[in-house]
Amino acid sequence: MATTAPALRPAATSYRSGLYEWLTTTDHKKIGILYVVNSLIFFFVGGLLALGVRVELAQPGLQFLSDENLYNELFTMHGTVMIFLFIIPILVGFGNYVVPLQIGAPDMAFPRINALSFWMLPLAGILLLSGFVTGGAAAAGWTSYSPLAQDRPLGSPGPGQDLWVTGLVLIGTSSILGSINFLVTIFKMRAPGLTLFRMPILVWTVLVTSVLVLMATPVLTSALVMLFIDRNYGGSFFDPANGGDAVLWQNVFWFYSHPAVYIMVLPAMGMISEILPVFARKPLFGYKAFVFATAGIGALGFSVWAHHMFTTGSVYLPFFSLMTFLIAVPTGVKMFNWIFTLWRGKLTFSTPLLFALGFLSMFLIGGINGAFSAAVPVDFALHDTYWVVAHLHYVLFGGSVFGVFAGIYYWFPKMTGRMLGEGLGKIQFVIMFIGFNLTFFPMHALGIAGMPRRIADYAGNAGWNDLNLAATIGGFLIAASILPFVWNVFVSLRSGKPAGDDPWEGNTLEWATSSPPPPYNFDHLPEIRSERPVFDLRHGRTKPAATLPDPGPVSQPTH
Amino acid sequence: MTDRALTATAHGPLDELAHDERGGISNPILGMLLFITSEVMFFAGLFAAYFASRAAIAPWPPTEFEHTLEPLGIVFPATVLLVISSVTCQIGVNAIRRDDRSGFIRAIGITLVLGIVFLVIQIYDYGLLYSHGLTLASGPYGTTYYTLTGFHGAHVFGGVIMLAVVLYRGMAGQFSARHHDAVEGTSIYWHFVDVVWIGLYLTLYWLR
Amino acid sequence: MRMSHVRNAVAIGILFVVIAFIYWAVPYFGGWHLDYAGVTMLAALGIAMALMAYVLVAGSPRE
Repeated sequence: MATTAPALRPAATSYRSGLYEWLTTTDHKKIGILYVVNSLIFFFVGGLLALGVRVELAQPGLQFLSDENLYNELFTMHGTVMIFLFIIPILVGFGNYVVPLQIGAPDMAFPRINALSFWMLPLAGILLLSGFVTGGAAAAGWTSYSPLAQDRPLGSPGPGQDLWVTGLVLIGTSSILGSINFLVTIFKMRAPGLTLFRMPILVWTVLVTSVLVLMATPVLTSALVMLFIDRNYGGSFFDPANGGDAVLWQNVFWFYSHPAVYIMVLPAMGMISEILPVFARKPLFGYKAFVFATAGIGALGFSVWAHHMFTTGSVYLPFFSLMTFLIAVPTGVKMFNWIFTLWRGKLTFSTPLLFALGFLSMFLIGGINGAFSAAVPVDFALHDTYWVVAHLHYVLFGGSVFGVFAGIYYWFPKMTGRMLGEGLGKIQFVIMFIGFNLTFFPMHALGIAGMPRRIADYAGNAGWNDLNLAATIGGFLIAASILPFVWNVFVSLRSGKPAGDDPWEGNTLEWATSSPPPPYNFDHLPEIRSERPVFDLRHGRTKPAATLPDPGPVSQPTH
Repeated sequence: MTDRALTATAHGPLDELAHDERGGISNPILGMLLFITSEVMFFAGLFAAYFASRAAIAPWPPTEFEHTLEPLGIVFPATVLLVISSVTCQIGVNAIRRDDRSGFIRAIGITLVLGIVFLVIQIYDYGLLYSHGLTLASGPYGTTYYTLTGFHGAHVFGGVIMLAVVLYRGMAGQFSARHHDAVEGTSIYWHFVDVVWIGLYLTLYWLR
Repeated sequence: MRMSHVRNAVAIGILFVVIAFIYWAVPYFGGWHLDYAGVTMLAALGIAMALMAYVLVAGSPRE
């Protein structure tokens, strides 16, 4: 079948722009890349913190950390950095880069606010981490429960916890501004013909994620300011010693933090939904079901928060248990749809597909062990044990992080004009997959055997020694897998295979322009008649843009 | 002009807002409306803490503060003034929609003054309450009161800044019937601030 | 169910107000501990979602 793609001019932009250009850009593509690079840096920082934890836990006895409080700082900052400075921003970064391209827009709705949203992140990261050099970072867990998080001698008396609060308020503000940007962009700036139900699934997941960010993050902000008032102005919100209620913190905190986990996974699911059809050469199975399942997950995600609080005694248990089980339904729908997309497809096992398959299998395990915890009696036994650590890492690492790497391998060619090396990519995948499972699978057994979370040390005769050692070895394997990745990036940037406009034979609009795209994104937009405009163009179902009448100047708002 | 024809089909509260050529409301105004929904959730967290504290502690108000928050005290005229300022703000918006620039400047100027007066009354009231012994550290009753009203006051302050900027730009001739998104956005924010205050006033002073 | 009908979009907000009501009513009439914080946050969520859905759908381009 002859391709009828119009001949596009070579990329009118080069990323050899100076430092000043990168520092002051309002171009969503550069900002997206800044988000991704910044997030990867914090991924490495969070990973080092995790290695600190694993090194201490490899064997019973306090070998390396003289002070258990430092251990608390390590796991607190590991969680905080990974959630707020890595996974959420990197997904925002991919959304920033890809969404305007996929909807045929020239940029985001508010480019300067976009830049502001980004630059708040490195600043917030410095604030958060500066605790390490100002008398101790936050050490009350990323969940910061009171009264441990309060400003009292056996709590968190130093500045670290206040730096944590302020850093998170900054990050929350950045997120909220970003979500407004995405929503206005998606609803107002789609190309003609791109109706809501022709949008790529990634755009849908970014839409629902933005709704979650918009609605839930301000609740976190309110909890944080209340904690700040408790700590610094004699407030009595959460400190029982002053008449406050410690469970109230948990309530307000989890009202945000549960939707937050969907914020951390939905865009990754969107990326997988873009990648699987391309590498299976089949359309996505059940597009509309996907959209409604995503919306259903978003909505249900707001009604399960107290399943993190089952053991407090203040929770209406049947309601939250039921709602938690219900979330498995739309998630299951998506699982089946992904599998049916692959079924009888013509699979090409390139690195993006490998990571996508990794996502499917690992997220499935994470979903299943989560379903166990949804049963209240089971949760009573497993709450705050390593079972939960296994669950959260299977969904967040096995799910979101694998999804992120799939996205990196898939969109790196579009962003840079060069392919990432397949050999190194496959090496990274294999080592990371094995390392990940070696680290976290044993934690199921450790949890059932009763090993609590957040302990710096454990008795040598508890029977936990071998599994902990295995988990530490796995952790170092994960770290090792980063090396081929970083090497791959550097080598490919310099001398990777040139990608061209559409190296993967993609379906969506970002593949209808050069790699990297010009600053204004598109010279011509193809006709849009379905959710796969570039596929349609390639197979002659729509006319090439060069033969269409010139639509005239791009529609602009009134000023 | 042609904008009206594109929106002829629907009749709703958003019809009067500035529209762009493709028929939707303009991006900055949509952005402000969405920002407001996020602010609703911010206050939701604070109200959640208030209602939880109130349900868990008896008596509420605590005996030493039983009559400290008087609904018909100085806070009542402050409330009336804030409501009036919303009216004057809307008068200003309607004026600039008609291209009545001097009417717009007058109305926004009055709104700004009323907003500042509200803040002054609020600060004065805080002083009175402090002298009655109600502080941030007065247990949950004091903490929730000052946090809720304090963050509201901060939002009023933000609104006052926005009104001042809009007034300045208006006096510099930057707004017309066709281009006044900043005025619409500011007025939407100001109405929101007013609605939150009414909710706060009824909850803290009447419901108690 | 057309997405572009305003009242269908607002339904998502109404849904949460209904959930908030159930979350209040069942413990209230069942005699269990009432989570006022949760009820407040869910009810506010319903209002905020309805407002958000309304402005997004009603404010979208007509095409």
